[in-house]
Amino acid sequence: MKRNLLLLICAVLLAFVSCKNETKTFEPETYTVGTGVFILNEGTFTYANSSLSFYDFDKDKATNNLFFRVNNAPIGDVGQSLALVGDNLYIVVNNSKYIYKVNAKTIEYKDKIDGFTSPRNMYVVGENKTYVTDIASPGFWTLNLSNNEKHLVNTGKATECMAQVGDEVFVSNWSKSYVDFENNTVQVIDCENDELVAEIVVAQEPKAMVVDKNNMLWVICNGGWDPMQPQDPALICINPATREIVKRFDFTPGVDSPDGLAIDAAGENIFFMNGFYGGLNIYKMSVDAEQVPDTPLILSNGKLFYNLAVNPGNGDIYVTDAKNYVQNGDLVRYSADGTLLGTYEMGIIPSYMLFN
Amino acid sequence: MKRILTLLLMMLSCAMMAQDTIVLQTVEVDAEAIRRNAAESAMERKMDTAILKRLNTITMSQLLIQHSPVFIKTYGPGGVATASFRGTTASHTLVLWNGFQINAPTLGQVDFSTIPVYMTEQVALKWGSGTSQNSGGLGGVINIDNTQHFGEGLILDLKQTYGSFNTFGSYITAGYSWASHLLRVKAYRTSSDNDFEYLNICTIPHQVMKQKNGEYVDYGLMPEYQYRFRNSLITIVSWNQWSDRNCPQIMTNVSNSDNTKEYTDNGYSRNFISYKTYWETGKIEIKSGYFYEKQHYYLTSYADNGIPATQVDSHNDANVFHQIADLNQDLYKSWKLNAKIQYDYEKVISNNYDQSENADRNMLSFYAAVTGKLLKPLDLRLTLRNDWVDWDSKGFFPTATLSYSSIFVKGLKLNVGYSHNYRNPSLNDLYWYPGGKPDLKPEDGRTVDGNIMYLRTFGRFSVETTWGAYYSEVKDWIQWVPSKWRFWVPENVNTVTAYGTEAHLKLNYFINDWNFTASGNYVYSHTTDESGLQLMYIPLHHANAFAEVRWKTWNATYTMEYTGRRKTQMDPEEFYGFQLNPYTLHHVSLGKQIRKFYAEFRINNLTDVDYMAILWRPMPGRSYEVSLNYKF
Repeated sequence: MKRNLLLLICAVLLAFVSCKNETKTFEPETYTVGTGVFILNEGTFTYANSSLSFYDFDKDKATNNLFFRVNNAPIGDVGQSLALVGDNLYIVVNNSKYIYKVNAKTIEYKDKIDGFTSPRNMYVVGENKTYVTDIASPGFWTLNLSNNEKHLVNTGKATECMAQVGDEVFVSNWSKSYVDFENNTVQVIDCENDELVAEIVVAQEPKAMVVDKNNMLWVICNGGWDPMQPQDPALICINPATREIVKRFDFTPGVDSPDGLAIDAAGENIFFMNGFYGGLNIYKMSVDAEQVPDTPLILSNGKLFYNLAVNPGNGDIYVTDAKNYVQNGDLVRYSADGTLLGTYEMGIIPSYMLFN
Repeated sequence: MKRILTLLLMMLSCAMMAQDTIVLQTVEVDAEAIRRNAAESAMERKMDTAILKRLNTITMSQLLIQHSPVFIKTYGPGGVATASFRGTTASHTLVLWNGFQINAPTLGQVDFSTIPVYMTEQVALKWGSGTSQNSGGLGGVINIDNTQHFGEGLILDLKQTYGSFNTFGSYITAGYSWASHLLRVKAYRTSSDNDFEYLNICTIPHQVMKQKNGEYVDYGLMPEYQYRFRNSLITIVSWNQWSDRNCPQIMTNVSNSDNTKEYTDNGYSRNFISYKTYWETGKIEIKSGYFYEKQHYYLTSYADNGIPATQVDSHNDANVFHQIADLNQDLYKSWKLNAKIQYDYEKVISNNYDQSENADRNMLSFYAAVTGKLLKPLDLRLTLRNDWVDWDSKGFFPTATLSYSSIFVKGLKLNVGYSHNYRNPSLNDLYWYPGGKPDLKPEDGRTVDGNIMYLRTFGRFSVETTWGAYYSEVKDWIQWVPSKWRFWVPENVNTVTAYGTEAHLKLNYFINDWNFTASGNYVYSHTTDESGLQLMYIPLHHANAFAEVRWKTWNATYTMEYTGRRKTQMDPEEFYGFQLNPYTLHHVSLGKQIRKFYAEFRINNLTDVDYMAILWRPMPGRSYEVSLNYKF
């Protein structure tokens, strides 16, 4: 009887142990980055499935999950933005609250900078001085990339995008979700001594900014997300010297939700997305124009345009399509006149683009 | 395919081995079961009460994943665990406690990690046409019931457990059962540091670390009173629970653990009174319930320099009133009627809701079922329900079940069923701000299913097996999708098609002082939306097996659970790094009865498998538990 019992137990155990799970193991891969554009895929909030893609101009080919393939680990939770500093690529990971530093050629991991609250964008101001905006802190961080020392400059408001004109850095105050102050201003920072020197009232949710050939600062304002509150979506042009609004194009409140702003290398034409969220079209506009064009350059045609960038080399327009947010998105490439050149599969919610 | 075969072989091999050695346990025969028509039990399975008693210190989520065909999606010990039936989602699993719905009106789901098996005596699973009494169970229904016995004198049961990660559990049942009165109180407290070691595969390089901020403490108290007189029974039960749980960071975010405070502080109080009266040909039960549920989620993170950024402080309070009148009446010959009227009122107060809307609703339901024999071996059950939400009819929902008891093979039954049911959107779907849509349509589901049941005892040997297949379609599937603005809104977007098979086998053999049991479940669930892709987090294959040997006062068990590969996004070719690898867990236990004491030693995850049940959520490796039980 005892033998039978033993046999039973052994058989059952064996049966299950022998059913080895085919766990896929993988070895880190190597990769050499050519000339092209990095695309950071945000991934789903709290899922930590952010990933890094690279589209190679010469090979006309996109490679996905570069960071994971090379370093055998995910980027983290919501990859927000990228910055290229010398031979290093910095990856700002919003909800993981750190910045990864990798080799910009091989994507090999080099360092991790911890301790932010909700980091958004990085901007190199000068030697040993980089600004990092933060959506959940009342200000921005100054960061010394040589020793990772950082310090929060309190400006009273959550910070988002940055653009520099002369010795001043302009910072948009996009969100009030975590730091409860009005989010309708662009703050002016004197980057010699990192001080807030002025504040320019624009419209709600100022986000991306570019500087044109005349040294004018363009700001795209989403206009607010809350259907119960008044909205004021707008495209605004500021004279940085006088801090005055020189042009203001208002969109339709409750309908339009403009986003994404890019400029060509010559600083002559700006590109932005407008329409209702989830159905944004792409518009091209001369910086000298006195009116927003009526017809878009590129129609969304069912795509969920999420972000855009312009290749400074040849003026091609790169747009990300987030599709339904739970499946891999696309990178869509258009020529400067809006002709479709190619579509490439990316990761979940492709957003930030950086040309190397 | 290879894997299915291996699994089937596995189940068979334990069956074969068991044949010359296994048994019949003391079966609790309840009178109702005998009276029941075959078509009534065609689409249900009662969980083995012996297993429930033996495993009463685990949570309902562990019980279901290890001993039933229900799939559990768990965030780990002390984390939310939700159940899905037949490849549907957690909100398609209706959970009834003594006949009352306990799905939270807010999310429409039940967190099974907050239900200890100790608080219940009976668990039954129903699917297809078995779900006809209520709306909501488009995947299936899990019935959790309390039963009591009169005239048994002193009731005293004490249990203490201690295990790895400083995990304590204290359980007590005390009471007295007179001939016509019964008073019983159950109480428990569990707590754990939950600081297990795991390999963090998100850090560079990978590092072994301890889970931080995973501590939890749960309490529960359930007083019950019953009084029987003449042909009547009055029952009053109050089920109260509190849980205070910290929320650990996902593996990528562990460096935030020290500057993030994140916890949930939840609780509920479910109270009902029931009056039941019997007569020769029937019975009626009238019951009223008041259920309160509190959900509080808090998250604050701090920057390096200590500046706090309060991010979330969410409070949801749900109040639900239930009224049920349930009549059973024998009609003519074998024909019986079951009729039920139910009225529920639910209201949620939440700082996440649109404050201008009144987040409440009235639900009224009329139900009738007739069962009887068409021919001698052919049983039929027909049901029809008419539901009203806020005095607006949602339509008529019929089901039909046909059960054939073979006259050639004793113990063999063939069952087929059709059901049409629906599920109301949850109050979050309707009133969440921003995004909630008060005009959202309910989901509409139709299921066709069939199974073969074989239940037979040959002397010392008994066998129970069910093989089933199902096909169902849910129209107007509710999904949160990106909207015109920067937030998501629920939409009736998709038709979801689910089909699959379920196999269940249980064998029993006894000889002299030996008693052997082996059982297992295997489920294949294919669930796709209109794009044809398997829904996220639903494994194509999952299975479990259980073996128990008893010899005199000794007892040894072996439990296996298998979860197949799962996707975490909707793409045909998902990157390997974001897929969830399949895993098999093994658990063993050894116990001995010493007079009124029962001592047990248990090893969970015997082979120390490193696995994830949810992407980047660590799970514990091998862990140990000792327990001591005293039963008067």
